[in-house]
Amino acid sequence: MIKLENVTKKFGDFSALDNVDLMIPKGTSFGLLGSNGAGKSTILRLLSGIYRQTSGNVLIDGENVFDNTEIKKRVFFINDETVQFGTFTLKGLKNYYKGFYPNFSEEIFEELRNTVKLPEDKRIDRFSKGMKRQSVVITGLASGADFLLLDEAFDGLDPTMRIIVKRMLVDAMLDRNLTTVISSHNLKEINEVCDSVALVHQGKVVFNRDLDSVKGNIHKVQAAFAGDKNYEKADFEKYGILHYSRSQSIHYIIMKGSEEEIREKLAEKDPIVLDLIPLSLEEIFIYEMEGLGYDAGQLD
Amino acid sequence: MFDIDLQSRTPIYEQLYKRVVAMTVRRELRSGDKLPSVRELAKELGVNPNTVAKAFQMLERDGLINTVPGRGSFISGTNGAAVLKISRENFAKAVTNAYSSGLSEEEMIDEVRVTVTALKEKSSENTDDETGKNINDTGEKGDSEQ
Repeated sequence: MIKLENVTKKFGDFSALDNVDLMIPKGTSFGLLGSNGAGKSTILRLLSGIYRQTSGNVLIDGENVFDNTEIKKRVFFINDETVQFGTFTLKGLKNYYKGFYPNFSEEIFEELRNTVKLPEDKRIDRFSKGMKRQSVVITGLASGADFLLLDEAFDGLDPTMRIIVKRMLVDAMLDRNLTTVISSHNLKEINEVCDSVALVHQGKVVFNRDLDSVKGNIHKVQAAFAGDKNYEKADFEKYGILHYSRSQSIHYIIMKGSEEEIREKLAEKDPIVLDLIPLSLEEIFIYEMEGLGYDAGQLD
Repeated sequence: MFDIDLQSRTPIYEQLYKRVVAMTVRRELRSGDKLPSVRELAKELGVNPNTVAKAFQMLERDGLINTVPGRGSFISGTNGAAVLKISRENFAKAVTNAYSSGLSEEEMIDEVRVTVTALKEKSSENTDDETGKNINDTGEKGDSEQ
């Protein structure tokens, strides 16, 4: 299990992370969402032991990660900067990581290398950007680590490689209870792969939730009421609305709750039209942020 | 066979659950039929295996499938109380939606008749060319979103 307790990371006067608490159960896939500079990569670097926290605890299975070789053997960080390629060939890279990760699978490595057709004897620093990316990803998947950290993982991979990675993750989660932490801008990818998500904003975890409960529990309502009832925003405030607008006789309301709950609540207003419209995950996050007092424009 | 909409507001596990229920209600899945494993389904759909496992757990809880360790998950029965209960709930929901959108009782009954007639025609066509069990992609798009 991964646990961050009151973690603060400062660079000089700047707090990259400010009192962050986070818990990620074993065998699950966790998504970190947020804009550039929000603090996502800082969390991953703390978890991989590249950074040391200024205060608080960064725990994997109960132990602080920094300077802890035994724990680091169980963590792999997939990131362009992780691997200092130097003059390594892919073969050299494989042997190097094999020496560090006790469960490294040469079989998986070779299988993946053949699938993506990467040359074994060419210097990696002469690879294209995409090939370097693939090299790190296949090394990570073959590492046998219990905790896989993927920084902007799926960016820069072609569709075929994405499918391969996803399938590999399925096997690893089922076979050895792999835990993954994935940072991304891409909600679609997070939606497909993750159990839970945290939204990171200005060094803080704005919210942290089970993806299914996020999705089933927020709706966009379009409602119209009989002409003699001239409702305004204030009449709906008590339902805990996240957003309200009105165009002619149609009221647009974003509110939390399941479909049934919302219909039940609004029944007392006697609507003549009541439609619940699907929200994209992206909209959900924007409205959640608004509800918390953040300007949605700051997201990107 | 279990195509789902990854972009939908409806959680993926719920879509899978409803999908299996819908297929059972329509006898596209019959008692004793084996479901794909969590692994196969997660890979095929490109989703998290925990999500698929969650759907399977709910199906098991509601008595729709029966999981035999080491062998797989099987449909338990098409006339089970759970299937009927879910069918009734879905129907009630659809009626509620239609009512709040202003459809009258008579119009709703007409709709029911038209839909059932169409379904009967379709299923007799399917039996004719013996592909009934494999056709699962027509006329049911609404099921998961009601």
